[in-house]
Amino acid sequence: MSKKNVILKVNGEMRQVLVELDEPLLWVLRDDLGLTGTKFGCGTGECGACSVLINGEARRSCRVPVAYAAAGQEIVTIEGLGSSGNLSPLQQAFIDHTAFCCGFCTPGMIITATGLLAKNPQPTREEIIEAMDNNLCRCGSYNNIIEAIESVIEGS
Amino acid sequence: MSMTRRQFLASLGGTGLVYALRFVPEASAKTVSYGAIPVENDTPGCTAEYIPVDYSEWIVFGPDNQVSVFTGRTELGQGLKTVITAIVTQGLDITQDQLTVVQGDTDLCPDDGPTSGSAATRHVGMGFWDACQKIRGDVVRRAADSLGISSEHLEYRSGGVGRKGEAGTLAYAYELGSGEAVILDINPKAILNEQYVDIEIPNVNGEKIVSGELKYVGDLQMPGLLYAGWLTQPYHPRLTRLQSVNMDNARALPGIKCVEVVDGRVAAIGQRCSDVVKALNLVKADWTLPKRSKELRVEEEARAGAQLEVVKEEKGNVEAGLASSDIVLTETYTTQYAAHAQIETDAAVATPIGPDGRITVWVSSQYPYLDRERVFKYLRMEPSDVHVIAMPVGGGFGGKIGNLSGREAAKLAGMVNAPVKLIYSRRNQFQLISFFKAAVVIDITTGVSADGRIIARKIDSFQDETDGTTETYVIPNVLTRVYMAPWPFGRCASRGTSYVQTCFAIESHMDMVAHRLGMDPFEFRRKNVQYPAFLNLIDACAEMIGYGGALNTDEGIGMGLVRHGGAQLGVIAAKVAVDRNSGKITVKHVCVAFDIGPVISRRTATVTIRGGVAWGIGYALSEEIKLDGHHTETGYFSQYKIARFSDMPPIDIQFFDDHHIGSVRGCGEMPVIPTIGAIANAVYNAVGVRFYSTPMTPDRVKQALG
Repeated sequence: MSKKNVILKVNGEMRQVLVELDEPLLWVLRDDLGLTGTKFGCGTGECGACSVLINGEARRSCRVPVAYAAAGQEIVTIEGLGSSGNLSPLQQAFIDHTAFCCGFCTPGMIITATGLLAKNPQPTREEIIEAMDNNLCRCGSYNNIIEAIESVIEGS
Repeated sequence: MSMTRRQFLASLGGTGLVYALRFVPEASAKTVSYGAIPVENDTPGCTAEYIPVDYSEWIVFGPDNQVSVFTGRTELGQGLKTVITAIVTQGLDITQDQLTVVQGDTDLCPDDGPTSGSAATRHVGMGFWDACQKIRGDVVRRAADSLGISSEHLEYRSGGVGRKGEAGTLAYAYELGSGEAVILDINPKAILNEQYVDIEIPNVNGEKIVSGELKYVGDLQMPGLLYAGWLTQPYHPRLTRLQSVNMDNARALPGIKCVEVVDGRVAAIGQRCSDVVKALNLVKADWTLPKRSKELRVEEEARAGAQLEVVKEEKGNVEAGLASSDIVLTETYTTQYAAHAQIETDAAVATPIGPDGRITVWVSSQYPYLDRERVFKYLRMEPSDVHVIAMPVGGGFGGKIGNLSGREAAKLAGMVNAPVKLIYSRRNQFQLISFFKAAVVIDITTGVSADGRIIARKIDSFQDETDGTTETYVIPNVLTRVYMAPWPFGRCASRGTSYVQTCFAIESHMDMVAHRLGMDPFEFRRKNVQYPAFLNLIDACAEMIGYGGALNTDEGIGMGLVRHGGAQLGVIAAKVAVDRNSGKITVKHVCVAFDIGPVISRRTATVTIRGGVAWGIGYALSEEIKLDGHHTETGYFSQYKIARFSDMPPIDIQFFDDHHIGSVRGCGEMPVIPTIGAIANAVYNAVGVRFYSTPMTPDRVKQALG
């Protein structure tokens, strides 16, 4: 397959990249656009470290061909949610609740939880677990992650 | 070989006040040489109690009253940087803005050992703590000499010295040094002052972690960077050789720089990650068929041809003790092969040799000096020509002591004369790496008196080092032997080391002995514990988990005890429910009572302990590397089931550090160790079935329940 120019809308900006259309979005984000907060963990959609929001929904960027993502989709990566000194409430809650150890899975966790809260602003604990259950954390910070998510639910 | 003092001082430009920390040898638990870790061998060992024989950490007061501290120990997510920041900012009365913590850079940091064994906080943290106390006095003495004022009238404040009762700073510490290092003899068992307990500063990397800004090694970018990957072989790497290979189609792909056989494996290097993946898929390789049986029978193979490796402990007369016992019980326990399964796979970036004759290697590492040694030996370079920088580790757990990607990336960078980023695929991580947490067979015999005192215990352990066998209970007659057999699959340091397997056997066995005695298993433990402090921990766990209260049908409670690292005591209780139809064991509640000395950061300790429990749950219920005699069948997370959100119970923790004074200990490994036995005992309590092997998967539970 030959390379083509494609335009991606990432974190509100239009970005042009020259890539093969079947290339996973993950590597385009990381290596062409420098958005390395999106992590490689497995390449098979089984760990969630590479999660990004596509039209508001958490997706595994290792399993999304860049051609799909380019077709007018709104992509948001962890960098699009907030930065040091300007964090989203959920990002801040992860710090306040020590919801990580090594931090490698954390961007994927925050993206997935952000997707959940956008769709369901007041999830029950069971709904949080169901939405998060395919995101893996080998440090085992799960309980603290749930506490962090619950702390930003409105009215909590 | 660490950097010499002279080189280090030269790098500072010969200014400032420099302290080199040196651990007092007699205060060291164990002093081992750096060469104790095999470098060439791909089955790395681990010396948890390593204390450097030369200088350890550095503390430097530089211009503008900035303080830099240097340690070779790396950030694994255990919060070491946060702990160091907490200790040094308070120990030297400075702000976080004044402090720079440099970790894991072999050009700047001393070789102060591997980051392992739950020992970093214990050694490095306490070293810095003791140093800070000594530096305060030293700075005052220097100021007194320099200013011609009696030190009685001076006091240390915020990186400098002031006159007692007066505001202002008379001299800053950096002005009082010549750049020549002052050697501080450090007592690693220093006593922690009460005011340093419970320092709740947030993780200093926190903002970068949650915003995706923290750079792990795979995130590094540089001009001209190429990407590399390995082909995964079809058989276990120790059992096969590459016989023939056709790389023509792979090499013809656009974007591919090279596809080569490197040390018996096939590597591809290209301009993009996806080029590399595509190229490796086009490689046609034939591998030799392994020469051993394809059928793997773990227990049989562990026993076959096993040689006595070491008598780990011999005390009293075990045979006479067993003969005089009222009840003697012999059982065998086995455990599975398990993986580290870090979410960050092994990875490194390396440059080719530059104009100065040096290369730089960035690596996900628990021990950058070991990586440096691997690189210079592998490439036959001088040690001083290799610069290793350890990046924050995205999960280590012992496995990133054995990470060979640093030397591999260095070699590949040389081949293409360009910087190379090597990232292991998930299949690589399961199948290219030859070592696991070991499958172990443990024969255990215990003799007790009719009133429930342990009289004798004999343990024969196959393929294990039986760490921690005799540290929990008072036993007058003990014999513990370790046997090793020729075994195809490698073993590696892994969170909790062999305490994990041994404790599963001992704590399961303790329950069975109690059952034979007709004694409550909690009471049986209370009667035999080695330290009175355990009694509080047992009682606390029993109360937290509601032991003795009403249980639903097929629910049960179990307990496990651990003593780790010499002085850390812990008890974990678990409540489970067993579904007889599906065979699924659900862990409903876990309670932890730990006496680990003063807790520097309760929030960090809490998340670490909960994570350790998650490891215990995975190990007890689902984690298993599947091997036939030839091949590692496990290649993906869908086949290797670590604990996930839906597996986690509420985990309540009580710290027993009321004394608040004492030396800091660790807690990264400890919670893994007794959780497995506690779960197995809870299952026995629930449905009356004893599991003699892990993991207790639904299929095995259904089978056992008939």
